[in-house]
Amino acid sequence: MSDKNSPFFVGYLSAPQALRTFLMVICVVFVSGLAGLGLALGVAQDDPGDGAFRFDYGRQTVTGVLEMTPYPVVRVTEGNERIADGQTLMLSGQGKNSIMTRASPLEGQLVKVSGVILDRGDLEMLQLRGGRNGLSAVEGTAPQMQTEQLGRWRLAGEICDGKCLAGAMRPGRGIAHKACANLCLLGDIPPVFVTTQPVEGHEFLLITGPEGTALPPSAYHHVAQFISLEGDVERRGDLLVLKMDPATVEVVR
Amino acid sequence: MSVKYIPVQWNNNKYIYDVVMLAGVALFLYVFLYAAPGLLSHERPVNPQVHNARAFGACAFVMLTVILCIGPLARLDQRFLPLLYNRRHFGVMTVFVAITHASYILNWYFAFSSSDKFEALLFANTSYAQLGGFPFEVFGIFALTVLVILAATSHDFWMKFLTPPVWKRIHYLIYPAYLSVVAHVSLGILQDQQNHVFTVIFIGGAVAVGVLHLMAALHERRADAAIAARAAAWVDICDVSEMSDGFAKIRLLPSGERVAVYLNDGTLSAISNACAHQNGPLGEGRIIDCLVTCPWHGFQYDVTSGRSPAPFTEKVPTYNLRLDGTRVQVDPAANPPGTYVEPVAVPGHAQQEAPA
Repeated sequence: MSDKNSPFFVGYLSAPQALRTFLMVICVVFVSGLAGLGLALGVAQDDPGDGAFRFDYGRQTVTGVLEMTPYPVVRVTEGNERIADGQTLMLSGQGKNSIMTRASPLEGQLVKVSGVILDRGDLEMLQLRGGRNGLSAVEGTAPQMQTEQLGRWRLAGEICDGKCLAGAMRPGRGIAHKACANLCLLGDIPPVFVTTQPVEGHEFLLITGPEGTALPPSAYHHVAQFISLEGDVERRGDLLVLKMDPATVEVVR
Repeated sequence: MSVKYIPVQWNNNKYIYDVVMLAGVALFLYVFLYAAPGLLSHERPVNPQVHNARAFGACAFVMLTVILCIGPLARLDQRFLPLLYNRRHFGVMTVFVAITHASYILNWYFAFSSSDKFEALLFANTSYAQLGGFPFEVFGIFALTVLVILAATSHDFWMKFLTPPVWKRIHYLIYPAYLSVVAHVSLGILQDQQNHVFTVIFIGGAVAVGVLHLMAALHERRADAAIAARAAAWVDICDVSEMSDGFAKIRLLPSGERVAVYLNDGTLSAISNACAHQNGPLGEGRIIDCLVTCPWHGFQYDVTSGRSPAPFTEKVPTYNLRLDGTRVQVDPAANPPGTYVEPVAVPGHAQQEAPA
């Protein structure tokens, strides 16, 4: 119930004199409050990491042996000033697309790959150019590449898609990014396991299903979660590959 | 009040309201988008698309929180009623901000694959059986859908077309939508935050909405309980000496409806307390130019008939009333909307003489 003493606001009439100061204060509080919240929330963003597309390096072209883990990697045999011989690069196509159909016929062969590097610490991926410009067989016999078995490990960490994590997106990991990561993995972008404790000096491992199969469907539910799992680890050049055992996955948090 | 429908019936207060609202929103976005990055010490910046999505998403949440605080604030303190007046413009602006947030997400996280991005939004994450990693996007989709529906039906035309009760029920969907936004944020970005400033602001905003609604509900409940205690066959309103000319007393009737009894120039009249526009509390208004004026949007009614003055067509129910000694009493059976009821003269109360 209103009374004689309280000011009465009617929208299409001038605001009562007694309300004007109050409304002025509300306006100032509202505008300055929103500006303050914009600042507080804007500066509360976490560091997305240092991964990035290295367009500044220019196009990289190297020669090596193509291996399918089943995700395609190239073991560099003839590098350049940025990519050393003996290095192993994970490979992807443009966007969230794999190069599986292009790479499968060339498995085990000597190939030339060309594209742009994505780089995050010891995680490196090469996004190939389209068609034969990005991947083509070269003359010569592929040398025998060594794969070192490092035994069974229990690791804690997070399954990510290797491309976003390497810098295609910042941030490229976490729950808010899970659907994007799943979409990349459904496109056969190489998946990566980020460990909380380095394995043989590596924080990032290419992760596959058991016995070198693709990541099992059950693993998609655990993408971006903090989990622990067991698997066999092998070294291919400077890249570690974790063959996960799906039955051992436990959600840590 | 309306005779024919036009997009917006502008007036000075609406201009001021919108300018202040737009200034606040523009400042929030400007500071978040352009000032904040310079203060971050990240080696490499957050992707512009993600940064923009966060800015617009955070802004939409803050706007929705403010909008939902206005209602209970106005119930608790009538000085906040002017904020209610043009709230629908605030709501419509919120929808545009929320759509911008969704567009950035859709065109970034769900783009670049061989699948359609709208389809990808639905199939990329199907972990519905778990809390960690739950596809929180569905909560955002629900909230955005509701907000779009509410914005699209916010015009008075839709209230007339759908009828006020139906319209009101549809617009109560704002509460599930807000809960959905809370779930969207809680199961999404909040899970990743290392810096807890966002968490504190988010929880603070959501709690403010909840607490203010609880306080307003308790306030109304106390008022209703006091009114109910006085209810009877003829419902006793008050002693006539308690009434002020041009103002009303509100009472709860046994039916659950509220009646507003006005003293107008020495005569008593009673009409429904619910405005035909948006159920605004007519008894909390006052008589201006011989017409009861709603405190929410200024809709006006003749206190003796419950009819808006021509050419307007809104009507509210009226009530019969009597004086038992000095006690004002109301018949709880409402008359059909727009029914004229002869006002009851208050003995000894001077009435204005009509000019000869």
